[in-house]
Amino acid sequence: MNQETKMGPAATLVATVIAFVVVVAVFYGLDHFVMSIQGLPLNADLTPAG
Amino acid sequence: MKNNSPRQLISQTPLAILLWVIFLVGFVPGISGASTVQAAEGTGVETRIAPVGRVQVEGQPIVEVEVTAADAAETELIAAPRPSRKDYPNIGVSSRAVVWILAQMHLFFGALVLAVPLFVLVIELTGMITGDDRYDDMAHEFMKISLVGFSLTAIIGGSLALALFMLYPDFMAYMMRVFGAQWLVYAGLFFLESFFLYTYYYGWNAFRYGNKKWLHLTLGLMLNASGMTIMVLANSWATFMMAPSGVNEVGAVVGNIWEVMKGPLWNPINLHRFIANIAFGGAVVGAYAAFKFLSTRDPALRAHYDWMGYTSNFIAILAFLPLPFAGYWLMAEIYAYSQQMGITAMGGILAWLFIVQAVLIGTILLAGNFYLWSGMSRTEGSVRYQWLIKYIAATLVICFLIWVTPHTLILSAREIAALGGSHHHILGPLGIMPAKNIAVNLMLIATFLSFQIYRRSDKVATVSWAPAGNALIVAIYVVAVANIIFAGVYYGYFTNTLYKVGSSVIQVVSTLVVIITGIVIDSLIFKNAKTLPSHWGRIPDRAQYALFALPIAFTWLMGLMGYVRSSVKTHWHVYTVMKDNSPDNFIPTIGYAGNMITIVTVLFLLMVLFMFWVANLGSTRQPEASADGGATV
Amino acid sequence: MTDTRDNRESSGSKVFVYAMIFSLGLTLVFTLVANMLPQVQGEAPSEQMVDLGSLTMDDFIALGKDLFENKGTCTLCHKPAPLGRAPDIEGADMVAVSEERLADGRYQGEAKDAAGYILESMVDPSRYVVATWGKKGTNDAESPMPAVDKPPIQLSTVEIDAVIAYLQAKDGNEVTVSLPSPEAAAETAAAAPAATGAPVPAATADEAMTKYVCTGCHALDSNDALVGPGLLSVGARLSTDEIRQSIIDPNAVISEGFPPAMPADFADKMTVRELEMIVELLAGKK
Repeated sequence: MNQETKMGPAATLVATVIAFVVVVAVFYGLDHFVMSIQGLPLNADLTPAG
Repeated sequence: MKNNSPRQLISQTPLAILLWVIFLVGFVPGISGASTVQAAEGTGVETRIAPVGRVQVEGQPIVEVEVTAADAAETELIAAPRPSRKDYPNIGVSSRAVVWILAQMHLFFGALVLAVPLFVLVIELTGMITGDDRYDDMAHEFMKISLVGFSLTAIIGGSLALALFMLYPDFMAYMMRVFGAQWLVYAGLFFLESFFLYTYYYGWNAFRYGNKKWLHLTLGLMLNASGMTIMVLANSWATFMMAPSGVNEVGAVVGNIWEVMKGPLWNPINLHRFIANIAFGGAVVGAYAAFKFLSTRDPALRAHYDWMGYTSNFIAILAFLPLPFAGYWLMAEIYAYSQQMGITAMGGILAWLFIVQAVLIGTILLAGNFYLWSGMSRTEGSVRYQWLIKYIAATLVICFLIWVTPHTLILSAREIAALGGSHHHILGPLGIMPAKNIAVNLMLIATFLSFQIYRRSDKVATVSWAPAGNALIVAIYVVAVANIIFAGVYYGYFTNTLYKVGSSVIQVVSTLVVIITGIVIDSLIFKNAKTLPSHWGRIPDRAQYALFALPIAFTWLMGLMGYVRSSVKTHWHVYTVMKDNSPDNFIPTIGYAGNMITIVTVLFLLMVLFMFWVANLGSTRQPEASADGGATV
Repeated sequence: MTDTRDNRESSGSKVFVYAMIFSLGLTLVFTLVANMLPQVQGEAPSEQMVDLGSLTMDDFIALGKDLFENKGTCTLCHKPAPLGRAPDIEGADMVAVSEERLADGRYQGEAKDAAGYILESMVDPSRYVVATWGKKGTNDAESPMPAVDKPPIQLSTVEIDAVIAYLQAKDGNEVTVSLPSPEAAAETAAAAPAATGAPVPAATADEAMTKYVCTGCHALDSNDALVGPGLLSVGARLSTDEIRQSIIDPNAVISEGFPPAMPADFADKMTVRELEMIVELLAGKK
């Protein structure tokens, strides 16, 4: 761990997990959004709802 | 000369914004011109309807309106000429070949001299904001080496006009009739552009500091505005030929000049050419820097030209990355305008051309990435990221191979016809094969990653949340790549056509998210970052060849895309309105086009060499040979 | 500055030579790639707007050949056996054939010579139907061929003459039709812009059907086969996707008993809207 950083290993691990969860959620929402504005709705499991 | 330049990257944030501002400024004359046309028309309902039907507004006296000769002429619509083959002068060599060469040369130089002032202005502004004179000097040098380009553009443009009027008289007569007085505006803008060009260039040192610098920047802005207006006016001719508007089905003018200009393809072409010009201009001046770098052993000069080459490459690649998306829009509009034209471009005769395009773009991406990787030797901090390079390289090569494999692109003309019909009927151009879509998006992401680690290589973050920020960036890369592959594979192969086509938008958006968040998060993480020493000039000689490869590939690529853009009109001068009955009204083979493109590329190379040579001539003094070489910077 | 490179003294000219070799070599690579690909040339459709005033007989015959192969859509059906849905024309001496037909006892027409017979067979195809080629169920009393002077083919008088000239000349026979008179030429020229003007997209399904000459081969109001299958209840036989496929890639699935005669280039010619309008119309025929 770099000396400039003020986060410990545990905090970094937590941050990584949170980051992944958040990014997956954002992309999930993005997929729904991008398809729906094209008139192509998706189900919750990303299968086509049309 | 300093060896490290912590601030040179500051230019990157305002760059995009500034380019857009300049772009918009370029549009203002066009837009305001249109509103005046419309205002002139709005001269009261009575005056307009009276000559037609002798009607009057209730409760008002009958308005006497004299029917002038002009009004009478206006009502008589003149159809586009229908020249027969004997109406085309035969000069013994192919007229099309002559016009092809001249037009392409004009476009090359036009692109160059439009782009250079654009980033010169941005660099100059950066220099003013940072107070670092080296920016100012480099901007000045960029202007110097492209100065002759303005004259060359005008000379070739004049030759092109002469050739067109002599070889295609009926066509040009028609174009004159359609565009009318717009030609005068166009010509007038040349005087304006020349004025700003010479005051901007020769006033550089006279208006260097303080308030005068603002004057100088304004001159630069006006130079760009007039140049950009010239470009969009000229674009309107090309887009009118592809997708005429403001005329009826036999080509008689029924709309005003704004309706003629504002065809469906005008803005897509404007955007596409605007971005491509910047990439092209950056690549050409990069070759100059590479040549100067290799020609000298003076460490200070090498450092200077290394930095100049780096900046040029930065401009070229940064402008290149959004280009596929602009191309996407253009193709989508072409399909929306005419499916037949879209299929001519993407399938059938011209389909093979996209193999060549893939080779060229692959060359550009590999050369750009290779240069960035080589440049990482400038700083010690790069060792932290070196391990990534082999994975980026592998990704690029694999994706490139997927891209050029014909089976993912086309099988036969017949299959393309089937593909065009069965897959393109909603969003046409987006229906390219999913595997190819994945490959292209991953190549763009890989290139951006190269770019990002290069930018990071001389910095150490000092903000407390840096590990979290890094984790976020890693997460975005991983999830975006997974999302692109998922969207391509799942929707591309396991759902219906609509979802397959729609999913390509997911892929594009994912790529854009990576690029935008990457830039934003990095700029936050590296706020007040500790900078490691970097050594300009410490780069292998072979890396400079990447800077030669870029302009060659860009030039060739522009020539190739010009061939497609012009060929989709098939046997029409003006699509659906004026037929081309000349002996050259067929679409030439890709091999013939390739030979033509090589001829223009080599001609352009020679003329650019002349341009550079003249630029250096100005700073060469005979008795003192190389002694004052450093004074040019 | 640390210099890790070799100590080769680089001079401007040497660098210049290397840079040029590299650049030209790269250009050559791109050129080679372009030349290695399949070479296809996109010929423009031959010009139908001929200047009739300065027409020679050779031009007139060439015009007829072009009409025969393109605008007239003759070759869609008149192909050599076993492909054709109508008697082969290109492989036969039509003047000799015409004289045989005129001598046939079944002939009830008014033509006196070969040119007259050919003209009659084009504008009134049912006047004499070659044995076995009649519309199914009519016992050769009715021809499946559309009259060429009526929509959708709609050849002008001059154009029909040109076709006759071509059919006479192609086997070395004397051409008996005369070149168009100035009046006829003027008339054709005046009508021409409408006929050869811009490909204006059809506004309705019926217009689109007419524009692409669907009814030249398919009956819309019956299930009887003309050249292609009748389309009265096509919507019951085929799904929307199948109909679409049958139009844009007609040879993928061919109805039993029919030769692959349908043009495969509709995908290139139709606009998206036209295609969808036709598909919708046909899908509704149940």
